[in-house]
Amino acid sequence: MLEEVTSHVKIPVLYWENSLGRSRSCDIVLPDPNISRDHAVLMRRESGWIITDTGSKSGTLVNHRKISQPRILKPGDVITMGSTSLALKRAGHTAARAKKQGVARKIPRPSGLLLLVTLSQLLLGVQACLAQNSFSIYGLLPFAFLTLLEWTAFLVSSKGFHRVSFEVETIGFLLSGIGLSLLYTISPQDALVQATAMTAGVVLYFCLISFMNDPDRVMQWRLFIEIGAAVLFAVNLVFGVASHGAQNWISLGPITVQPSEFIKIAFIFAGAATLDKLQTKKNLTEFLIFSGVCIGSLIVMRDFGTACIFFVTFLIIAFMRSGSIRTIFLVCAGAVFGLFIILRFRPYVMDRFAAWGHVWQYADTSGYQQTRTLTYAASGGLFGIGLGDGYLKNVFAASSDLVFGVLWEELGLILSLLVVVAIMLFIFYARSDVTRSRSTFYSISACAAAGMLLFQTCLNIFGPTDILPLTGVTLPFISAGGSSMLAVWGLLAFLKASDERTYAVAG
Amino acid sequence: MKTTGTRSLVLWILAGGFLVGLALLLYGYVFHGGDWAIQPYNGHLVGGGQLGYAGQVLDRNGVVLAYSQDGERFYNDDQTVRQACLHAVGDTDGFISTGVQTQFRTQLSGYNFFTGLFSPTGEASGHNVTLTLDSNLQKIALEKFNGKRGAAILYNYKSGEILCMVSTPTFDPAAPPSDIDSNPQYEGVYLNRVLSSTYTPGSIFKIVTTAAALDSISGLDTRQFECNGSIIVNNSKITCLSKHGNITMQDGLAKSCNIVFAELAMELGAEKMTDMAQRMGFGQSFEIDGIPTAASFYDVSKANDNELGWSGIGQYTDMVNPCHMVILMGAIANGGTPVIPYYVQSVTGAFGFPFYRGHPSWGSELVDETLAGKLEALLRYNVTSDYGDDMFPGMNVCAKTGTAEVGGGKQPNGWIIGYSANDATPYAFAVVVEEGNYGISSAGRIASALMAAAAG
Ligand SMILES: [Zn+2]
Repeated sequence: MLEEVTSHVKIPVLYWENSLGRSRSCDIVLPDPNISRDHAVLMRRESGWIITDTGSKSGTLVNHRKISQPRILKPGDVITMGSTSLALKRAGHTAARAKKQGVARKIPRPSGLLLLVTLSQLLLGVQACLAQNSFSIYGLLPFAFLTLLEWTAFLVSSKGFHRVSFEVETIGFLLSGIGLSLLYTISPQDALVQATAMTAGVVLYFCLISFMNDPDRVMQWRLFIEIGAAVLFAVNLVFGVASHGAQNWISLGPITVQPSEFIKIAFIFAGAATLDKLQTKKNLTEFLIFSGVCIGSLIVMRDFGTACIFFVTFLIIAFMRSGSIRTIFLVCAGAVFGLFIILRFRPYVMDRFAAWGHVWQYADTSGYQQTRTLTYAASGGLFGIGLGDGYLKNVFAASSDLVFGVLWEELGLILSLLVVVAIMLFIFYARSDVTRSRSTFYSISACAAAGMLLFQTCLNIFGPTDILPLTGVTLPFISAGGSSMLAVWGLLAFLKASDERTYAVAG
Repeated sequence: MKTTGTRSLVLWILAGGFLVGLALLLYGYVFHGGDWAIQPYNGHLVGGGQLGYAGQVLDRNGVVLAYSQDGERFYNDDQTVRQACLHAVGDTDGFISTGVQTQFRTQLSGYNFFTGLFSPTGEASGHNVTLTLDSNLQKIALEKFNGKRGAAILYNYKSGEILCMVSTPTFDPAAPPSDIDSNPQYEGVYLNRVLSSTYTPGSIFKIVTTAAALDSISGLDTRQFECNGSIIVNNSKITCLSKHGNITMQDGLAKSCNIVFAELAMELGAEKMTDMAQRMGFGQSFEIDGIPTAASFYDVSKANDNELGWSGIGQYTDMVNPCHMVILMGAIANGGTPVIPYYVQSVTGAFGFPFYRGHPSWGSELVDETLAGKLEALLRYNVTSDYGDDMFPGMNVCAKTGTAEVGGGKQPNGWIIGYSANDATPYAFAVVVEEGNYGISSAGRIASALMAAAAG
């Protein structure tokens, strides 16, 4: 809590990061003509409260000494900006909790929710045992694996890290479990890869959360992450393997990876920033260049779906950082112009999308995948034909690009809708925590990750069903693909990190 | 921090776009899911959804009208039944677009919205479609047409079930004639004339003129008209089939005097006539199990007095659809508001599981209640005073016949439309016989036989 030195007016400090200034959009508004619009940022870190001057005209003084770099405050320290002086006071309890009044949300026990998920996976396992009119006990293998993985993760989270919540993970396990069960009936070998990737993904998830514990450290690492991502793209462009039109794979001995999936994580690291960094470097130039490199590389690789995902994520981050509709408009205009240039010189690019809206006329050529998806999806009705009894799985890329159709055909529309609505829930999750996060870095990255997941879901389910052009992207958690599975769990880490309870003990 | 929170609302745009896409997908599934599923390559469909593997079509009494065996489509054993039910059931090649084998093809193939092509037996089998039609009535109707062209429909105006719907010319779906495209005998054979054709109404249109007159002219009970066989309007004759002398409107309707109704139409004027025609369903298409009917036509916007007179007696450019006429009769019988007819009673899957059930639905009011009562009395008087109640013994039938001049050297079309006002036989009918000459002797005979059989 802050107190005006002369008038003794108490000013509550509501957030973990607070902007101070004359502007009405600041968290702490100081109506003083000698104060800049965005003057300084007051942040709470593990070491205590920190004040940073964000390029103000008149500067910020602590105990009458001008500060040139972030400075840790002790209770009683006096901050002077313009002709206003504020003293830092202890406010009974952590100031950031002040906002957390009102009714505490009643949350079911996390272990209970996870038990429900495990039960649903058992049901899927039993169905898999009965697939194709013959009984096979091996159908329970995915269930056994999932149970082991999710309960281990739960114990690590609750006992190892003492985290109280497990909702994000529970939804992740629910979705990944459905994907794995579906994949197991299509191809047990692929399911093995998927399970390995999922395990690695969960490990990556825990690592990333630990890495993000200190947002200022992340800020320091940011340039390395960006360079690493650019190098990865370069490697991809040089050594890339073309696969069905898009050159987005690199082969590392027995395994192939899709670098663009990992760069999704790097992209969010590059875009999100703490509040003091947002205020000092207001323009988006660095991030704009990085985005240009990423999206440009993807277009060269002819992976248009992923390019779109990066672009939309860019828009979300850019808007959350700048709040400028003009910037967004300019960027969109630029994108349209770029698209026009591409079409002008590479008109054959459009051929891939020629069937859009007319798939039934091209049912056996460029509309093949879409018509099969629609036919078999409708054949599944509301409840599905039964796990393992579908036909769409025999079509090319069924387990990745067309997986929504396979899901619908075998498990029904209701469950498929449940899956996509669960992915949409991440948006609510990211939004609900947005001002309670420990830093704008977390709130921006969580919104970007949730937006990225949802937009990718849009492309995956509306492409093969002919509502959008078919671009061939994966459905988060469900589609087969090791890189994709790893990346999705990585993205989930951003959502988890934005929840202030995640670091409750550490902070 | 606060501004970041506000800006995160941008995610709702994305979520909104997602929901719109989802709505489009669900819309497509609800309205086109069957078309998506019924594709020749679909592995869930035995025989790729061809009729040769589809379910049965049955009549209301369980008589099998069409069925499949080993990849071939077969029809009822009786050739007359096959021909009579052709337009309702449809043909194997799908030329008859209004038949259930085309309209309910996805259901016959085994598709339904709820379970898709899932089948508890593992192999998707076609669903059975049961019609409300009575194959016996169909057969009687076709026999009574005796080779003439035309259309006949009879339905229960309380439940909406169509018991008989026959269109001629017809052919045998078990053995389609090879000269079907060249032989003039088969001209328009793929058309279900009940639903998709319009005919010159002739005197049955006098019901509309009567309704318009009752609505805005007073003292019609006692008013005397004078018929000398013809009148001259705009230097051109409007003729009557006989010289009726002094006559009231009630007797004019029963004896079908042209002069009475031509004069009434001219007296009412184009606006009131058009208004009543529109209220009674002209220019409107009705949906019968998803099939839109051809709209009846009445337009006197460019007519002179003479033509207006002719339009009032169902000539000029007037055209009516047989199904619309039976709906109008149903409306008058129900006090002004019709029950819309249907002919698909149910679609049932494996183990008789019902996926669809036909049900009555009310249409919008075609005649107001007091007017319906007055019309009923007049239509009843037609039968008792002129046609003879022995045509429909004990059934309390209200009806109107018509003899419509069509020109071109052809004999007039014969019409009868009407209904039984008895609760025990709540049937309405419309029959038209092309070149049938007098309505009462051509169409009337068919209606009489159908009503007797339906009541039977
Ligand atoms: Zn007369």
